[in-house]
Amino acid sequence: MVNGYSVSSLAEALEIRSSHSVVPYAGGTDLMVENRKGVEYLFLGKIPELRNITEDDEYIRIGAAVTFTQALEDKKVPDLMKEALKRIAAPAIRNAGTFGGNLGNGSAKADSVLIEFVSDAKLRLASRDKERIVDVDKFYLGRKKLDLGEDELILEVLLPKTGLDRYSYEKVGGRNALAISRVSFAGIFDEKDGRITKLAAAFGAVADTVLRYKDLEETMLGKTIEEARELKEKYLESYAERMVLTQGRVSAEYRKNVCMNLLGSFLAKFGI
Amino acid sequence: MSDINFRLNGREVSYSGSAADRLLDVLRNTYLCTSVKCGCKEGECGACSVLIDGVLFNSCCVAMGAIEGAEVVTMEGFRETRRFEVLDRAFGELSAVQCGFCIPGMVLAAEALLSQNPQPTEEEIREGLSGNLCRCTGYNAIVNAVGLAAKEGKGLW
Amino acid sequence: MEKISQSVVKKDHAPKVSGRSIYVADYPSEGVLCGKLLHSKVARAKILGVEVPKLPEGYFYVDARDVPGDNNVNIVLDDTPVFSRDTVEYIGEPIAMICGPDENEVARLRDECRVNYEEMEPVLDFRSAEEKFFDYHFGHGDVDKAFAEADKTYEEEFETGYQEQAYLETQGMMAEPEEGGRMFVHGSAQCAYYIHGAVMRALGCGPTGVHIKQDVTGGGFGGKEAFPSILGCQVAVAARKCGKPVRCVFDRREDMEYTSKRHPSLCRYKAAVRDGKVTALDIDVKFNAGAYSTLSAVVLQRGIIASPGIYNIPNVRVHGSAVKTNTSPCGAYRGFGGPQTFFAVEMLMSHIARDLGKEPLEFKKAHLVKQGDQTSTCGKYHFPVPIPEMIDEVVKESDFENKRREYAKAQTGRYRRGIGMSMYFHGAGFTGAGERDLIKAVAKLRKYEDGRVEILASNGDIGQGVRTTFPKIVANELNLPLEKVFYEHPDTARVPDSGPTVASRSLMIVGELLRRAAIKLREQWKDGEEQEVEEHYKEPDFVIPFYIDKFEGDAYPTYSWAVNAIELEVDTYTGVSKVLGAYGSFDVGTPVDYNVVMGQMEGGFLQGIGYASIEKMDYDSKGRIRNNSLSDYLIPTTKDVPKLKCMLHVEKYPDGPYGAKGAGELPLVGAPAAYLEAMEQALGGIELNHAPFTAEDTLRAVMKEVG
Repeated sequence: MVNGYSVSSLAEALEIRSSHSVVPYAGGTDLMVENRKGVEYLFLGKIPELRNITEDDEYIRIGAAVTFTQALEDKKVPDLMKEALKRIAAPAIRNAGTFGGNLGNGSAKADSVLIEFVSDAKLRLASRDKERIVDVDKFYLGRKKLDLGEDELILEVLLPKTGLDRYSYEKVGGRNALAISRVSFAGIFDEKDGRITKLAAAFGAVADTVLRYKDLEETMLGKTIEEARELKEKYLESYAERMVLTQGRVSAEYRKNVCMNLLGSFLAKFGI
Repeated sequence: MSDINFRLNGREVSYSGSAADRLLDVLRNTYLCTSVKCGCKEGECGACSVLIDGVLFNSCCVAMGAIEGAEVVTMEGFRETRRFEVLDRAFGELSAVQCGFCIPGMVLAAEALLSQNPQPTEEEIREGLSGNLCRCTGYNAIVNAVGLAAKEGKGLW
Repeated sequence: MEKISQSVVKKDHAPKVSGRSIYVADYPSEGVLCGKLLHSKVARAKILGVEVPKLPEGYFYVDARDVPGDNNVNIVLDDTPVFSRDTVEYIGEPIAMICGPDENEVARLRDECRVNYEEMEPVLDFRSAEEKFFDYHFGHGDVDKAFAEADKTYEEEFETGYQEQAYLETQGMMAEPEEGGRMFVHGSAQCAYYIHGAVMRALGCGPTGVHIKQDVTGGGFGGKEAFPSILGCQVAVAARKCGKPVRCVFDRREDMEYTSKRHPSLCRYKAAVRDGKVTALDIDVKFNAGAYSTLSAVVLQRGIIASPGIYNIPNVRVHGSAVKTNTSPCGAYRGFGGPQTFFAVEMLMSHIARDLGKEPLEFKKAHLVKQGDQTSTCGKYHFPVPIPEMIDEVVKESDFENKRREYAKAQTGRYRRGIGMSMYFHGAGFTGAGERDLIKAVAKLRKYEDGRVEILASNGDIGQGVRTTFPKIVANELNLPLEKVFYEHPDTARVPDSGPTVASRSLMIVGELLRRAAIKLREQWKDGEEQEVEEHYKEPDFVIPFYIDKFEGDAYPTYSWAVNAIELEVDTYTGVSKVLGAYGSFDVGTPVDYNVVMGQMEGGFLQGIGYASIEKMDYDSKGRIRNNSLSDYLIPTTKDVPKLKCMLHVEKYPDGPYGAKGAGELPLVGAPAAYLEAMEQALGGIELNHAPFTAEDTLRAVMKEVG
């Protein structure tokens, strides 16, 4: 075809990716809005390996060309991810939009990416010659900047199978459907023997990349709920100090206030 | 270089233009499917909704290269079906059509919804049509029409 | 339900639902040149010159020098140019048009045009803008005395923002040169004869040198009242130069940035209260007109006439102005000035009530106008004012009093609720003597030999249903089946000028002309013969003549009335609000088709709720509209107001067909006040004074309250 490559195997795709300057095309919902001139697309929708959701002992593995609708219908996909997916845009966009595309677009507003951040997901990337696995937060280098080689493709999202059951998810959009996130929040909590073992909080759509402060989270680990409650005020203050947010269609001040409210609400939900 | 082959409203066609072209533009300009309306070219209004392999898409957000081998249905094809007749009657009975610009896309969104969920609740209908903007009706008549069609067309979906 | 109110399948249903209707963008492109406008990139400048790239054969550059007639578009005044003169006055002003066969190539050539500007400081802040396009004063009673004798006085400022019509079909017009030199212009429009007048002038031809047809139109809401006259002139001039058909269809961003919107407003109200009643209002209304005057005169007139609301205030002084800024010209949008001033006066009344320790609803009821009372312009409310009954309907349907009481208690959780109410009118038909002196509507019926009857009128169906309701009226009078009566989209070559499709007038004014014409035809009906009858507008006898220089007399022969209630739940963590229910009682007289009228009420009410809440548009420090896409300017989806409950209250108008009054605009007007009053309650009784009130505004108010 003219200005595009339609491939049916991953090997073929990686071969073209390494030898041509192509733009990987999965769902098209972001690319077609950008409407870049003179590009050649590499169409990934027909590669079976990229369209599957599988699992192993540790991970739910979601192929890069899996659509949001497909994931919503799959029992293996955890509820936390589904909460985010079902609030993406509207059916037609969810039918087209993919996990790989959401990542590849490099936006901090990507709703599935927020969940990947908060759940410490990994990404499997490959070029013709090598394959590697990278933590999702390392994959994002900055606004629209990704650790993805010119010859690489995103193959899969590796979502941890356990530890995602106790969560908060909030999306603040401009309306009840067809809404781009203005602020999004996901938090995961876990405890063992009365002590906090996980307290992850991620903020989407408020800065160049999804924000997460693991060092702050660590200050709460091992604490009892009562101890955490005592630390709460200081903990929130540390977040407030660290969060430098961007101005968009809504102000940075608004975003900050919402983030702090949602973080506070998340802590409260789990007794902190 | 080979053409892009796909089925359009039940007919085999091949497109020799660029794989990067928008399905919306090609449907309108090459295949004269003018029921497919252009409202925004950003996936924000749903006026250009089509069915690809039975699934609802905004044709403005689909590149031609992505539909190789697919079955594309627009209102030009769908209006020949019995399901359309039922939706048509329901929309007509409740005067759900005002300016009409969103309507072909809206009806296809209804078809996509009903083929997944033949007896949707009002809430599910509102969800199913949530990507299709209408500025005229306030949506009540449209939502009720889809509900009526589901009832009247029992067994068709 | 009366027979005429019983719903039928709309006449344009089948072609629209099946996608067969041809909108202007749907005509085949073969032999048609694509036109794209070169828009100014700066808000105010002298144009020193335009460097046009070398044009391939078959491509054209069209600008003011190509206008054979007058380069001024006739709207109300003639200040809007077809193509820029030697200056540009706003970002987006059309400087020229590039035409050619290939759309992409036309876009490339347009983008390669280099305009050399000598920039000047633009006027962007309409609060401080000095140039007034229009400046009106009127009033009655002795305002100064009332203030001097007042127990208490109030002063408050209210602000409203832009609203974009966001019709699903963008603006688009097409011009086709015909044999003999006649120009055929058609497209998406409300007012064929407005375009006719404008194109005639631009081409410098007589009335038969051009004809205009309205194509199937994908929504208007006022946005296609005046703007198509400008675009119509541009394509006509281009087609004349190119010698070929030229079509220009706006893309969404172009449409949102550069076409007319609802005027942002600033209203300052002073009120005098004595013995618990408002005795005087001193009102100053300012509208941001944008760079050219377009329809601002008439929008402002309607706005200020409504500015005292539906209350009997003995002393009123009103000053209204529409000021020039270097921004996109504002124009008509459903409600036409009314939404701005009704918002202000409803909020004011509510605030005064609360300050006096009274429930706003009771306070407003104590001030309501009634039949026989004087209007703001010393005219008369000739007919019953059904507001008290309509309040009862809305109160009952929404459980208003219980909720209002319940939500007034201190609320502490994350989610807090409020309910609010507004009441208002919409003056039916043109403001003042427009119908009698300017429009002078004529409508015809033509009976064919086979017994079918065609309606000949110039009112376009833009979704509101006149292709169905007009034939219903005529068929009813002639005792014909509806299939025998038809109404095509108007073409000025075939139909008389029954006036524009504006001001909620089509059904009430032209519908009545058609009813009378049908009676005339019935009386002289001869089987098997072709016959034609004609009717002319006649002002009803009871009307007190209106004088615009003094703002005195009946601004409207009658009024449509409405009461709205909106119930909200506010998320105090995010500022996001959920509309739990929106309830409206609307009196538009007899519905000539129940479904059609309900469709207008529901659609208009939802637009009003959007205007109150999520529809925010503004411009940056350069004068560029920031919210130029449907992802940046949000309109309600199916999921935003699932509980939208409209009711019809019928107070018949004897001079409208079967008692019908103006309908289309009414439902939008009152939503902002009801929404904001609900918001005030949810936020613990604070006072708010601007719309839209967004999530960000809400959170700011919450934070302020918390400290």
